[in-house]
Amino acid sequence: MSDNVKGVFAHLDSLLTGIARVRKAGYNDFTVTSPLPRHEIEEAIYDGMPSPVRWWTMTGGLIGGTGGFTLASLCSAVWPMALPGGKPVVSVPAFFVVTFECTVLLAGLFTLLGLLFHCRLPSLNLDIEVQDPRFSLDRFGLIVHGAGAKRAEIAKLLHDAGADEVANAEASHG
Amino acid sequence: MQAAQTYADVNRDVLRPLFKPTPLWAGALALDLVVLAFGAYCWAYQLEWGLGVAGYTPPVFWGVYITTFVFWVGIGHAGTLISAILFLFRARWRTGIYRASEAMTIFAVITAALFPIIHVGRAWYVFFLFPYPNQRELWPNFKSPLVWDVFAINTYLITSTVFFIIGLIPDIAAVRDGSSGIIRKVYNLLCLGWRGTDNQWRHYMAAYGFFAALCTPLVLSVHSVVSWDFAMAQTAGWHSTLFPPYFVAGAIFSGCAMVITLLVPLSKIFEWEEYINVWHFEHLAKLCLLTGSVLTYSYGIEHFIAWYSDNPYEWGIFVDRATGNYSWVFATMVFCNCIAPLIWWSKKMRTNLYVLFAVSLLINVGMWFERYNIIASSLAHQFDPGSWVYYQPTWVEMGILAGSFAWFGMWFLLFVKLMPAVAIAEIKEAMRPPLKHDHVEAA
Repeated sequence: MSDNVKGVFAHLDSLLTGIARVRKAGYNDFTVTSPLPRHEIEEAIYDGMPSPVRWWTMTGGLIGGTGGFTLASLCSAVWPMALPGGKPVVSVPAFFVVTFECTVLLAGLFTLLGLLFHCRLPSLNLDIEVQDPRFSLDRFGLIVHGAGAKRAEIAKLLHDAGADEVANAEASHG
Repeated sequence: MQAAQTYADVNRDVLRPLFKPTPLWAGALALDLVVLAFGAYCWAYQLEWGLGVAGYTPPVFWGVYITTFVFWVGIGHAGTLISAILFLFRARWRTGIYRASEAMTIFAVITAALFPIIHVGRAWYVFFLFPYPNQRELWPNFKSPLVWDVFAINTYLITSTVFFIIGLIPDIAAVRDGSSGIIRKVYNLLCLGWRGTDNQWRHYMAAYGFFAALCTPLVLSVHSVVSWDFAMAQTAGWHSTLFPPYFVAGAIFSGCAMVITLLVPLSKIFEWEEYINVWHFEHLAKLCLLTGSVLTYSYGIEHFIAWYSDNPYEWGIFVDRATGNYSWVFATMVFCNCIAPLIWWSKKMRTNLYVLFAVSLLINVGMWFERYNIIASSLAHQFDPGSWVYYQPTWVEMGILAGSFAWFGMWFLLFVKLMPAVAIAEIKEAMRPPLKHDHVEAA
């Protein structure tokens, strides 16, 4: 039998109430699923803490920018044929485009890597409770992990918050 | 419109047309593949016999292929403009149309990317464009705008594709959850096992915002870089600082027109009028009016500057464009891009689907001729009157041009049957969330 308790919510405000009550009761190991991103959910769980993906973006941009400029400079230095019109070997205006494009390219690719890393994707084997097709349709889920002996207490808490359905719980809360 | 709907309705409506080929769709794809096969034959013919089968007439060595390359890159602007820039500006009207527009962008840039390969003739040497270590110690010239273009187009293609795929992931998960069997397994792989957890959405929204911010300067830079393919040259009619804004305005103009061309029938055939309707098309038409006005001003000011510069070569090319061998190209361009869209100043006309569709087609035609006018007429009428020629495309070039539309059409037709062409999660974001409080009050 699973050690999780799953609450299925039809309404966003009920879900937010559920999150607040679960946290207040001291349970911090839980997962919320929703068919769309809602800032209210993020605020309720992460208290405004920004995603670390931004550091990946900045790192990629810096590597791309310096890499692009270096690539253009070294290519010009090792192949002096590429000196039309007596321009300098390292020409900032001429290399600006490649520097800019490499900055954006690497920033984008690093953002993608950061997203996959922090979202733990690809991830084809999540907890069975999270794999509910209703969560990409019109229902919100609040799954409390490691409920153990307190399953009944958590189930009641979710039910009282307004969950339409509480799974893996006492029949009276279903 | 959307207030009366539930989240489940959105899934039902958007996923309904998937995986069910109708006779209309199958017929369109079959016709498309026939044209594509002819285009492929034309390219194979050129590969066998060489570039001599194209209509190149010295000194005109840029013709239909470069014209079509610039045309498709331009078409590829609207999707990222709508998905990235309008996202940052929080323009609500983008929600229904951005997915299909973004798909259009990707397929247009994939189509454009074929043309440098076709244009160089010996396609198997196209990798010379890229900087790679080689025993001859040959490197691309990074001071050449053609190399800038390689970087610009590839960066745009890769970044826009990643942005597009990231946007698709939650909706592919919705397809997975609404299906069974092998389709479910395939779509589970395609969405990388997305579950829509709080952790995933949190990082997703951050990354999405960064992608929008990264793509925004790309929209403006790509066609600026393409314009430098011309403006950095000394050729009369090309060597102008006006080109970057002129090209960017033209690209957005043609891209928005193509979005109208594609989405008017799509919305009708798939019965998606609730998600893609006159409200969206009117905004696109207004965007076309704005960029079309910039374009018309650019046409006027480049003629004025050519005259005012008192440079006989510069003025000569502009007089020749309007009155010489290519006057019919010039007239088509002016009619389609400057005169025809004026009808959209009337609200009645820009909210009529037939007028919207017809004028958007004219703009597509006009924007192809604009690039043809810039490229062919300038090269055919250079400094030495002894080198003046009249370049005319051959059947091979026109076959490849037709094939490019079929190549683009094939991807778009497959896309609308295999992927959700309306962004499910974003449509839901635009709706009022379901609240228990509302039900209590209603009771």
